[in-house]
Amino acid sequence: MSLADTAQQIRRRDLRLPLVAALLVVALAAPFIGSRYVTHSLIIALIFMLPAHGLNLLVGYTGLLSLAQAAFFGIGAYTAGLLAVHYGTPFYVNAAAAGLLAGACALPLGVPALRLRATSFVMCTLGFVIIGQAIAKNWISVTRGDMGLSAIPKPHFALGPLSFTVSGTTSFYYMALAIGALATLAVWMIVRSPAGRNMIAIRENETLAESLGVPTWRYKLIVFIISAVFAGVGGSLYAHYLTVVSPLTFQMYYSTTMLIIVLGGGAGTISGVVFGSLLFVGLTEALRITPELRMIAYGLCLLVLVFWFKKGFAPVINRFWDLIGGTK
Amino acid sequence: MFSTIIEQIVNGIVTGSVYAIVAVGMTMIFGVLRAINFAHGEYYMLGTFGAWFAVDYLGLSYEASIIVGVLSTIVVAYVVGRLVMQRMVGAPAEAGVLATLGIALVLQNTVILVFGGGYKFFSGGYIEPLSILGFSLAGQRILILVVCLPVFIGLEFMVTYSRMGKSMRAVSQNVECCEVVGIDVPKVVLHTFILGAALAALSGVLTAPVNVSVYGGMGELITFKTLPIIIMGGLGNVRGTFVAAMILGIAESLVATYVGLQFRDTVGFATLILMLMWRPYGLFSTQARF
Amino acid sequence: MTHTLSRRALCISTAILSLAVTVPGLCGVAQAADGTIKLGLVAPMSGPNARYGAFSMRGAELAVKEINDAGGVDGQKIELYSADSQGTPVEGVSATRRLIDEDEVDFVIGDVSSSVTLAMQPVAEDAGVLLLNAASSNPKITYAAGVGGFKWTYRNYPTDENRAFVVAKYAAEQRGFTKFAVLSVDSDYGRSAIEFTKKYLPEFKGEILSEDYYKEGEVDFRSVLAKIRDSGAQAIIMYGLADTTPIIARQMIELGLAGKVTLIGNGEFNTEKTIKSAPTALEGAVEAAAWLPAWDSPESKAFVEKFTTTYDEAPNNHAYVHWDTVRLLAQAIHEAGGNDREKVREALSKIKYKSPVGEVTFDDHNQARLPMILLQIENGKPSIKGAYTAEIQYPAQ
Repeated sequence: MSLADTAQQIRRRDLRLPLVAALLVVALAAPFIGSRYVTHSLIIALIFMLPAHGLNLLVGYTGLLSLAQAAFFGIGAYTAGLLAVHYGTPFYVNAAAAGLLAGACALPLGVPALRLRATSFVMCTLGFVIIGQAIAKNWISVTRGDMGLSAIPKPHFALGPLSFTVSGTTSFYYMALAIGALATLAVWMIVRSPAGRNMIAIRENETLAESLGVPTWRYKLIVFIISAVFAGVGGSLYAHYLTVVSPLTFQMYYSTTMLIIVLGGGAGTISGVVFGSLLFVGLTEALRITPELRMIAYGLCLLVLVFWFKKGFAPVINRFWDLIGGTK
Repeated sequence: MFSTIIEQIVNGIVTGSVYAIVAVGMTMIFGVLRAINFAHGEYYMLGTFGAWFAVDYLGLSYEASIIVGVLSTIVVAYVVGRLVMQRMVGAPAEAGVLATLGIALVLQNTVILVFGGGYKFFSGGYIEPLSILGFSLAGQRILILVVCLPVFIGLEFMVTYSRMGKSMRAVSQNVECCEVVGIDVPKVVLHTFILGAALAALSGVLTAPVNVSVYGGMGELITFKTLPIIIMGGLGNVRGTFVAAMILGIAESLVATYVGLQFRDTVGFATLILMLMWRPYGLFSTQARF
Repeated sequence: MTHTLSRRALCISTAILSLAVTVPGLCGVAQAADGTIKLGLVAPMSGPNARYGAFSMRGAELAVKEINDAGGVDGQKIELYSADSQGTPVEGVSATRRLIDEDEVDFVIGDVSSSVTLAMQPVAEDAGVLLLNAASSNPKITYAAGVGGFKWTYRNYPTDENRAFVVAKYAAEQRGFTKFAVLSVDSDYGRSAIEFTKKYLPEFKGEILSEDYYKEGEVDFRSVLAKIRDSGAQAIIMYGLADTTPIIARQMIELGLAGKVTLIGNGEFNTEKTIKSAPTALEGAVEAAAWLPAWDSPESKAFVEKFTTTYDEAPNNHAYVHWDTVRLLAQAIHEAGGNDREKVREALSKIKYKSPVGEVTFDDHNQARLPMILLQIENGKPSIKGAYTAEIQYPAQ
């Protein structure tokens, strides 16, 4: 909380905190309210929320449209899976390694890619996903190729004398929820920091930001790496939850999914990403009867978002909420 | 050994011709819209499905099915062009990426919804092998080569001399100036887009007999293959695209033979990334031209 | 100020949405009518493998209909619930969860794709629901089942290992091939079948001259086929997709391989449609299949006839194995004397089920001992050369 906070902003905090708390209560109670299937759906939402948070920093705050998230997601999933299968390391080690390795891969990829602009950058990041898939398929001695990794053990923790395994769906949900909440907090802190403001400056006008002394190149690279770290951690959750990792983890579809979460919820807002991942899972499960319709719906979503709702669907729901809630 | 290499090069040229016809449409659309059409392969798929439908359901001959395939694609392209592509004039690059990705999802899955996700067998065409200079090639492959050349010569002439071609070049130079001098920019965009989609469909119908299988997801692969070609050729460059397509076709064919079939699809993307790093403006020129 | 409001509203709407997601769970509890057996089927109904899912579904449907028309299992009718896996692990797990938690099924049959089945195993194990696999061939599934760990997973399908052994043996001993080229699909199925072939080939003095794997959706095999032609291989070992067999066969004709190099392996070489697409290339082809429509047994013939009249299409392997697995399960339920999960599982371990291809029993890894049918295409028709069973050697735990 900076000194510049005005009375109005304090009032806003007052209003917002209880709501975040309410959301948390609902989130904590969810496994008891709904069936295990609902808990499962929420876990999927939380898993995809992590790379989406990272993507939001790139797209929403820095203005770089990237399709590479699925590549880092896949790197994270493979890292966690390989560590767990071969060395049986505790979950926090796997998740940290997944994040770090994804971030480390992002550095050499980001340096050349970020020199490109707009469409060229998009194509280049798409290339990372396809090449990642090719490596996962053909580096058989490590990734087992198309056979994939299977029987990835349940996440376990070993902190001194305290050692336990996250076995059931409900406990996995709480673990994912904790990681999701931490990630959300981390994004919030990044965005609120001066660095966050510089990122927005780059999004709005890169040349201007540069002339004001913002080291734009370094910022873009760091944000690209951070977004990869988020995707990597998400990948480690994916690997442990599904217990299998195959080259299909690297696919364009996941990148598109993450884009839809970010843009659908509202790029450049944190709550938008949370909202977007729930919306995405809701849509997925609601349209489960006909998956083709689901894909068509995704496609139409993208078109509508691009041309009519540049800020995502969230403002529409807000307006609706204002109407029935009578606030103002 | 030597004859194997020659044979593989001939194979590569045939594949390259297919890529060239698809990619040239994409590069022209980029020229006028400054946007990569990520849905381009879907028109290739639509053309093939149209032809397959004509052969299998309507019982038409292969020649007639070419017309059905291309015409039905033109109809779809007209609708998409009016509703989406024309809106992209002057929109930021990101909008183009997202909108065309969206169209790709819609077109691909609508086709799967209507015709089912399984593979269909395309039964028309000239698949009997002919022996030429000691190589055995299906007649259809020779037809592809024979069609590819006049298409490119025609495009060169159209772009250089016709009114349409001139306005396309003008739009690719500067949209605002075109509006000032009275060029109907949305119309030029629509026409270019329909031409590009029709060429993709033509390529699809021509390859269907030798590729045999027809399925909803076939377009995505083609889109991915055309990306490196249009970058190598220089975005918006017709002649460059032709040469680039041949290079990729031959390279793929040689990699499939001497390295391994499973690496074939990687060639394109490795090329794409290397090109973007090394010469993002293409192999031939420093700036885009038609 | 509007900005402030929108943020608050967004939080609220998120909360509402999250509630909305949980609500169906509250009211969506299905009430099982007494006296029905709830059976779930997970299969790829959409995506590139949709074709397999459609056949699986129809096979299972037909078996359920037959059993119910005959009065059900000891008077209990079977109710079939299906869920789409799209052939991907994520969707497969979601589908399984939905079947177990929302539809409250007692038994799950699925999936076709091995990686999906591997992901479903722990889910079924957690829930204590029987998972009967009918069509995945990856050996790992039963390495990890039974005494290997997953008590609730059973497989009524031969493994890749069995298949690879049978094909290699026949090709070497009966046909006298020694030089092979590999052209298989780049998937767990294609790759592991080749791995096992390599394990057994030295016994038969065979050697592999070249090895290539194609991606799903690949359509141009000319380069590889030309390489194979020049290498002097006598046979192409192909563990491929049914959809690509006609493409490869046609391009073999185009390159003059037809009649000189023989296709061996698996990939629906024996269906009428495939043979018709390239008769000269498929002549002499050797295939090992779990079942084929031409199998000579009255039950199998009756199934083919019934399937064809019901769905206007000849059944394939996937239709058969799902039809057979539903019947196997029905017998297990009958022997258990009800649909108590634990009892059915015990009954399944001890079962002696008479399938159209032979008697089925399960080993201690819950893997069915099944014969592999070997056939050769002769004069454009599949001719059955025998059925072989091999005991699987499990790797030491």
